[in-house]
Amino acid sequence: MATPKKNREFDPIELELLWRRLISMVDEAAAAMVRTSFSTLVRESYDFSCVITDAAGQSLVQASESIPSFIGTLPETVKHFLRFFPPDQLAPGDVLITNDIWLGTGHLPDITLAKPIFLDGRLVAFSATTAHAPDIGGKIRSPEPREVFEEGLQIPPMKMIAAGKTDETLVTIIRKNVRTPDQTMGDLWAQVVALDLMEDRLRSLMEGYGLADLTDLAREIQGRCEMAMRAAIRELPDGTYRSELKTDGLMETPITLRMELTIKGDEIMMDFAGTDRQVDRAINCALCYTNAMAMYGVKVCTSPNLPNNEGAWRPITLKAPEGCIVNPQFPAPGGSRMLIGHYVPMLVFGCLGQIVPERVMAACGSPMWGMNQSGVREGGKPYANMFFYNGGMGGNTRGDGVTCLSWPSNVSSTSIEISEHIAPLRFHHKKLRPDSGGAGRHRGGLGQEILIESRSDTPIAVSFLAERTLFPAFGIEGGKDGAPGELRINGAKTDPKKQYVVHKGDTISLGTPGGGGHGDPRQRDAAALAADVDSGYVTDRTAYG
Amino acid sequence: MSTAPLSLGIDIGGTFTDLVIHDPRDGRAVIWKESTTPDDPARGALLGTRRVLAKAGAKPEQVGRVVHATTLFTNALIERKGAKTGLLTTAGFRDVLEIGRERKYELYDLFIEMPKPLVARPWRREAKERLAQDGTVEIPLDVDAALAEVADLVKQGVESLAICFLHAYANPAHERAIGAAVAERFQNLSISLSSDIAPEIREYLRASTTVTNAYVRPLAEVYLERLEQALRSEGIPGGLFLMLSNGGLTHVSEAKRAPVQLLESGPAAGALAGAWFGRNAGLERVLAFDMGGTTAKLALVDDGEPLVAYGFEAAREKRFLRGSGLPIQIATVELIEIGAGGGSIARKSDLGTLNVGPESSGAQPGPACYGRGGTEATVTDADLTLGYLNADFFLGGAMKIDRAATDGAFKRLSGTLGVEAGRAAFGVHDVVNENMAGAARVAIAERGRIPAEYALLATGGAGPVHAWHVARKLGVSRVVCPPGAGAGSTIGMLMAPARVDRVASFNVALASADFAAVKRTFDGLEKESLDVLRLTGADIERRAVRHLADMRYIGQGSEITVALPEPLTEAGVKVAFEAAYKALFARTPPGAAIQFVALRLSASAPMPGSGGALELPRHPSAEALKGTRPVFFPDEGKTLPTQVWDRYALQPGVTVDGPAVFEEDESTFIVGPGAKARLLADGSILAEVG
Repeated sequence: MATPKKNREFDPIELELLWRRLISMVDEAAAAMVRTSFSTLVRESYDFSCVITDAAGQSLVQASESIPSFIGTLPETVKHFLRFFPPDQLAPGDVLITNDIWLGTGHLPDITLAKPIFLDGRLVAFSATTAHAPDIGGKIRSPEPREVFEEGLQIPPMKMIAAGKTDETLVTIIRKNVRTPDQTMGDLWAQVVALDLMEDRLRSLMEGYGLADLTDLAREIQGRCEMAMRAAIRELPDGTYRSELKTDGLMETPITLRMELTIKGDEIMMDFAGTDRQVDRAINCALCYTNAMAMYGVKVCTSPNLPNNEGAWRPITLKAPEGCIVNPQFPAPGGSRMLIGHYVPMLVFGCLGQIVPERVMAACGSPMWGMNQSGVREGGKPYANMFFYNGGMGGNTRGDGVTCLSWPSNVSSTSIEISEHIAPLRFHHKKLRPDSGGAGRHRGGLGQEILIESRSDTPIAVSFLAERTLFPAFGIEGGKDGAPGELRINGAKTDPKKQYVVHKGDTISLGTPGGGGHGDPRQRDAAALAADVDSGYVTDRTAYG
Repeated sequence: MSTAPLSLGIDIGGTFTDLVIHDPRDGRAVIWKESTTPDDPARGALLGTRRVLAKAGAKPEQVGRVVHATTLFTNALIERKGAKTGLLTTAGFRDVLEIGRERKYELYDLFIEMPKPLVARPWRREAKERLAQDGTVEIPLDVDAALAEVADLVKQGVESLAICFLHAYANPAHERAIGAAVAERFQNLSISLSSDIAPEIREYLRASTTVTNAYVRPLAEVYLERLEQALRSEGIPGGLFLMLSNGGLTHVSEAKRAPVQLLESGPAAGALAGAWFGRNAGLERVLAFDMGGTTAKLALVDDGEPLVAYGFEAAREKRFLRGSGLPIQIATVELIEIGAGGGSIARKSDLGTLNVGPESSGAQPGPACYGRGGTEATVTDADLTLGYLNADFFLGGAMKIDRAATDGAFKRLSGTLGVEAGRAAFGVHDVVNENMAGAARVAIAERGRIPAEYALLATGGAGPVHAWHVARKLGVSRVVCPPGAGAGSTIGMLMAPARVDRVASFNVALASADFAAVKRTFDGLEKESLDVLRLTGADIERRAVRHLADMRYIGQGSEITVALPEPLTEAGVKVAFEAAYKALFARTPPGAAIQFVALRLSASAPMPGSGGALELPRHPSAEALKGTRPVFFPDEGKTLPTQVWDRYALQPGVTVDGPAVFEEDESTFIVGPGAKARLLADGSILAEVG
């Protein structure tokens, strides 16, 4: 065992080795969580993250397959924990918990746990995870709730485990407030296993390399990423760029999002001034989530391969007026915050596309679509399911947008055969929507149409995640818009922000939006167009001249 | 058996065709490497067969069986050179194959490309029919309309047809009916039914598997026919058996029926060799570690058998990215592939640190030391600099080494990195080891195990060079280096049993399961499996039949595979499930209900002529100690004078204290100070931390 030294320098080889070891720890913890979790979203869609931060809550490494939203939010939540529990109030064996939507990820089902890690009696790091719980109580996910209180159990920052002792009162309250007590608690324990694993691996690494704390290592890792991000920003021309877009919002009142993005030297500032106010429906997007989505938008355009840690975000700042829909204030509900949040990277592209058009794509048929059903089975047992479906991606300088792909999130769709097993529904088709991809030199990806019939003798309550029914995914560089999304019940166009009750024989049709096209469609390669026509992706060639 | 006692193993890889002749009576084995002939792989195989027979002093008529693995079908898939394939689906669902899982494999790439479906939309047709989830008929099959669709496909040149109807795993009647009608009318059309190839719930995965089978099937039919004939005309009386992805052998007509089972046959044989040598060394849990020129492969072996997963990905868009390939729901030895090999290139990363791989110098120009114009430092160059490889005995002395080129490459690398000269070489070795150890840690965590429980078994040209240090990183205390490191997979095939894996969907809560129905299902699967084993010529008196089930807690998104107890009772199954669950996840949730998803049967039986001893040619008369050379060991932080041994001149039972170098033609096994190495009866070297 080496003797701990302060102010250590690491050469490029040591640094790579230590960095790899840290990444391997979070990936190992992530693997353990995927295997232990009850939540389909965790297991099949990696709707979770694992991170190791330094003692100040600044992230060092994050699990490789973590989804972008949590990469942005999780380290921030650790910093919030430190505000509530300064180091002198933390002890070995503590596990902190919260699902506060402003401190966490913007909606209650995401529960964050963090564990302070001590070495020789000193706080040196945190291991932390966020995961989407199988259920958190409250109203089934839909845009309907008017206040966060309707959305389920709120857990303020507190100690779920204090010095190794579990807070049984908290556990009892959680169990009583959720529909799936065993699974929800089971997933929390899976998160604890991941935290312990990261703690164990980190401590043995530090002991083996003789690291008294992570200060020197963090300085190197974060510093190098910060420099790389600054270098990438410096390549962009200084200036202030503006973009805005409209979302369906509450249908009768669409919502406008605005961004002013300023590049000055090696820094980027984003300001959402002028964005519409928060609403009394659960589509408000808490600032933590807005921040994560904006950072994602900047990253994919500037330095997509840069590792995720605190350093990469330092040159980027963001502000949004209090009370606007991307910075809503208590008690605004936020269960379906992705219906606003998934537009945010597009706002960034709207700005950066003015200076680096080759690095952005046309608008995507996102936010993701979903259908939530709840009802009572013949035996009287209640059930609830959420099915996800995706639209097409936007075309880009290099090629067509991908058909039916989750973006910017990464949630897979539910198998039809599985769906028919777990819900009293009959699927009539799941097929591509012809002509839904926006025309362009590079066409937008196609959306899909799913037709579902209720076979239930008892009524089913349905609600939706559905956007871009009024404002299609726009094309860029002369490309055309994709087809807007379409929700129909018994053939009639329907307001997707409301909840409905369907009866046996009623049908629901979800048509996800296509992506926007890129470039003038008249310049589309003739063979590519012929293949599109041959495949029935394109039936109306008008736009192609 | 008495007139044709020999077994011949042929493993056709991308570059080389490995051959081995084995005499199970005394264990003697002879190895040969032939260049692969990609235009007609059977030609190279035959050429190699003649040469290995000559080397062994054997005659064709003495060969009683031929076992075979090939990458041919995988390559056809990767290169998209399979048959003209059509797909027939339930009306409304032909696009399922294209829509896929709707998930990205790369989060930050806006220009992402997903794998294109093997069947383009114009050749995906629909049939009027519909089953409910319990298999009952909702809409009867319209045979005539479906036949008309198929007729149109045939007219357009389609050679192979996949049929995949919704819920066909629950009731194959519609698929079989249209399959029979199509077969009768279009006798030259190859047909693959989803209920036959992968009868499991989840329509996209089932369709992807069935379509892949259809895509490679005509190729398999022609190739296997040709190889079988060629062997016969060569005068070899023995039958031809094929290595499956599950690590077992099967007969030719089963391989022709479902060649999708052969996609991973080569790597499976490699893992099997690891398992066999591990068993011989008395090790229950082995991490088989194969490191070659461009990649390293890891496979876990528990209780003497490679772990088998019931799905994998073929033909990935991005080789090392999960989710970028075509999902194949077939029992397959679980392998993790990492971009780390002897040819992996070392460079300064964008962030100024030292990166090694996944980019490889390949065969051309190869590592700098090959002297073929390579200027960048590779892992092999590092191993040479550190004394792990012998410049005067490279590939058994077959290659001359350009030491100056290696030194130049490291001088440049050290300069770019700003580290002192001499530091970079061990840095490269250390970083590539860390990459492999990291992947191993994650793979082992996914199984709910800990690395210290495993022994490392090193094969491949570079595996034995790196194994000792990788083991130190993992906290593994035992390393085994089997003989014939370069031909491990051929040896694995020779030792392989015949094996059949079959699955039946069974979507029922444990509490309401009808165990008589479970038994009937298993009986049916067993009969089917034994028929295949019997035709493979295996000794079915000594068969092992395992009853497994995919199970989960109701509400969970994925299943675990559980060995079922005998006799079957609700309480017994619950105990078995909970024990398996705990082994993976440390604890079980209280009060949750359990369900079946599928029943699996795995049947295997030893092949005549398999197993037994193995003895590669030794040089018993030679002097075992070849001399000493300076070798760098990181724990000491310096170069130590180290004894170099000719491993084939060592006698079984001999022990050697580390540090030591054991040389053979294809590889070099390095053990550090403190190691106790012992030569085992089968020629393996077992090194333990003293």
